[in-house]
Amino acid sequence: MAQSGSLKKQNRHIFYHFIMIVWSFIVLFPIYVLLINSFKTRLSIYINPFGLPSKFNFSNYTTVFKDSDFLIYFKNSFIVVLLSLLLVIIFSSLAAYALAFWKKRNSKIIFFFMIAGMMLPIKIASIRILEIIKALSLLNTIWSLIPIYVAMGIPIGIFILTEFIREIPKELSQAAIMDGSSRFRIFTHIIVPLTKPALSTVAIYNLIPFWNDLWFPLIFINDEKSKTLLLGVTRLFGQYQTDWSKVLAVLTLSAIPVLFLYLAMARQFIEGVTAGAVKG
Amino acid sequence: MGSWRADDVTAMNNLLDAYSKVAPDVEIDFKPTNPADYNTTLRLQLDSATGPDLMYARSYAPGIELFESGYFADCSDIEGLSNFTESNKAPWMTSDGKMFAIPFAAVSHAVYYNKDLFKKANVNVPNTWEEFLTVCAKLQSSGTTPLSNGLADEWDILETFFFGALPNYVGGASQRVKYESGELKLNDANFVKAYTAMKDVAKYCPNGFESVTYNDSQALFATGKAAMFIDGSWTVGTYGEATFDWGVFAIPAPKGNKTAICFHPDMAITMNTTTEYPAEAKAFLSWLCTVEGATTASKYLPAGFFPMINVPISIELKQANEFLALNNGKETDARFVWPLLLDLYSPMDQAVIKVMKGAITPTQAANDVQKAYDNLDL
Amino acid sequence: MKLKKQNKHLSVEPSGWYWILYILPALLIYTTFMAFPLLDSIRLSLYTGNTDATREFIAFGNFKKLFTDETLSIRYGGAFLHTVIFFLINMIIQNGLGILFAVIITTKTMKARSFYQTVIFVPTTFAVLVTGYLWKLLLNPVWSGDALTKLGLGFLSQPWLGSTQTALVVVSLISCWQWMGIPTMMFVAALKNIPQDCLEVAAIEGASAWQTFTKIKLPLIKPVIGMVTILTFVNNFNAFDIIFATETVNGAPNYATDLLGTLFYRTGIAGEHPVAIADPGLGAAIATITFIVLLIGVIPVLKLTRGDN
Repeated sequence: MAQSGSLKKQNRHIFYHFIMIVWSFIVLFPIYVLLINSFKTRLSIYINPFGLPSKFNFSNYTTVFKDSDFLIYFKNSFIVVLLSLLLVIIFSSLAAYALAFWKKRNSKIIFFFMIAGMMLPIKIASIRILEIIKALSLLNTIWSLIPIYVAMGIPIGIFILTEFIREIPKELSQAAIMDGSSRFRIFTHIIVPLTKPALSTVAIYNLIPFWNDLWFPLIFINDEKSKTLLLGVTRLFGQYQTDWSKVLAVLTLSAIPVLFLYLAMARQFIEGVTAGAVKG
Repeated sequence: MGSWRADDVTAMNNLLDAYSKVAPDVEIDFKPTNPADYNTTLRLQLDSATGPDLMYARSYAPGIELFESGYFADCSDIEGLSNFTESNKAPWMTSDGKMFAIPFAAVSHAVYYNKDLFKKANVNVPNTWEEFLTVCAKLQSSGTTPLSNGLADEWDILETFFFGALPNYVGGASQRVKYESGELKLNDANFVKAYTAMKDVAKYCPNGFESVTYNDSQALFATGKAAMFIDGSWTVGTYGEATFDWGVFAIPAPKGNKTAICFHPDMAITMNTTTEYPAEAKAFLSWLCTVEGATTASKYLPAGFFPMINVPISIELKQANEFLALNNGKETDARFVWPLLLDLYSPMDQAVIKVMKGAITPTQAANDVQKAYDNLDL
Repeated sequence: MKLKKQNKHLSVEPSGWYWILYILPALLIYTTFMAFPLLDSIRLSLYTGNTDATREFIAFGNFKKLFTDETLSIRYGGAFLHTVIFFLINMIIQNGLGILFAVIITTKTMKARSFYQTVIFVPTTFAVLVTGYLWKLLLNPVWSGDALTKLGLGFLSQPWLGSTQTALVVVSLISCWQWMGIPTMMFVAALKNIPQDCLEVAAIEGASAWQTFTKIKLPLIKPVIGMVTILTFVNNFNAFDIIFATETVNGAPNYATDLLGTLFYRTGIAGEHPVAIADPGLGAAIATITFIVLLIGVIPVLKLTRGDN
């Protein structure tokens, strides 16, 4: 019995590996195409789009580093994204805690009000938002982006976190209350550690649209020194012709920080989960 | 200064430097936006009063609309406007004669061809459309893709190819007016002939041309994989690195018709009504109308964009000069739908695409567009 | 506020005002920068005209136009249908595969799990522009035709993105490819949350992998399935970038890939090329209807998948 059990398991594993290898190929081949073409010149991509470059052209990458503008764009994107993510996490976890524990009708109304924002395309509100940012004198600065990104991240944060917090067994917080703990301490010492996987989910979910957003930087920012990375990349797009080898190089570089941030946050999953797996 | 020409940063900065020698205490910053988003961004900025002092204006309806919404300043009283011909001013003039921008540049459309591949297949520049199709057939049997045009981006096949060829079938501006008024029908024999021409040429486009984007077409021509590319003059500067000899010729008219050129007024510059520096902005605009100003400006115009001032100007780039010379002795007109029939852009675009895909016949295509015209209340 | 009567609980139930303090920061930012501008723009759906000066109140005129105007109603109906198809493909393939991948990744005895998990996520980190460019290159007979024929796969060399029959499905699949990382990540988190003891009991009782999956894992991750469904639903009905990157803003070819998101963008924000004159009121009407549809979809899903411990 043990034998057939592990044979079945082995077969299953082979099946699983097969699926994952096929998928990995579907993912990695386009990535390979991306990378090799970022080392070609504008037109030589088309001589042999799927082959290795006949001559590795590093200039697409070196111009990014030599061009001080791009380093500024990188820095701006970092600041905006990290700060926005931090604020989203803090504000939505506080709010989600309250909404999960406050069981009245008002709480439900506020909850729906706040997740409704997910369902409308924020772009229609562009003019009003532009006016508000202008009134706050934040136009043309990177600070114009943070309020709007935080506002965009909150509905999703609240949606995901409220659900996760609800799942936390009541006994844990009841016990703490009986021990005389304040609600706030319960939040910081019990809830937050237990929701680490959810917090990193919220962070990763928002990381991508914040980093890759083009729309709001486009309408808020004109000054070179305040542009974010993706807005800076649009400088490479001409009206009728574009040097794609350069664009591919810059956008590859742009994906690296995101990948690192993802890997860093994904660790939180594992730590958080092992901490919370003990169920009363 | 706002603009959609992110490509021209260096050129425009040179131009603005030259201007600062004329007006030393005025500084103009050239701040272009991503071309695809220019209209939207500009609109948003104007609506929320954060727009630039000077900006590029599109010709005809899009420009008129911004003027009538009160964003563009009235330029009718700027000196030097007499240096432009009436037909060059028309794209930026409202129906009651008010000018709202200074004409800056126009573009043209023609056939780019690879001289080396032509020699290899033993063909010459065609003079009629029928000869053109024969040239395509010969190129195809010699193993090259004759034409690199594709359908994926949808705008290029219409704006450069169809509108580029249309004056050959329906005539120039004087004829276009008759179509606009309804005196001539959009499904008459001339139009059917035009759609048939598109259908006939489809088999000479690359295999899988339904997926070929504008970027792909440029690449196919530039790498010598296709012998010809029907395109606008704005790409004339990009084939500098080409490893083959190339030139341009006008899209030929069918036998019996006169070849005409689609010479399309494209850019103008205007000022914001709410600018804090109206006097300085106006001064810059009038400088552009003077002979010295326009000549200096045309030095810095990107390759393939032609000055519109009524003064002879010579251009450096050889093939750009060739392009402009194609106009000699021929009638010219703007792109057919631009002046009054922009609402027909989409129906005509889809008609051309469907005809090339073989989904409908040329007659059906023409009828579809006529139907769309009837549905407009003009 | 009044204190709740202390009976069974030894604790005092905090008043609403207490909880509001926690909600306040989020509420303030959200209302100022999102709720208020959005509500104001929705209000615009009742008006026509482009600038504050030219606005005119026309009540439900815009909504009527969407369904009765000859060209517009065809566009709207088409966009709606395409969006539904786009959503269904995403639900089945992206989320279905997401669960499968998550199960595989959380199988403790599998080797190379973190490698696979990272691989799945890599496309998600790329800007949509890059995805669009890559797939346009790969799916274009002009560039990939030769390579495919050499591999004996010549029949795959079709203008997938240029044909009205195949474009929508292909673009939906590309979207799945790009975003697969997110639902996978969420399902992994959900599966990891399942208490070990449940799984151990099942193993002792001799349950097969399939039984464990259907009887234990699936029910326990129901809330997350609901959450992922809602997020997919909401994102797809507003999807715009992927179409912009792989086709055109018009939903080429011949509007076959036109979604509600692209239609909205053309109508309410950018205007049609080349006229480029937007009608914010009409755009707001499109967005409002989408909003209502989303509400109608979200509420039952939320109710159905609320977890019970």
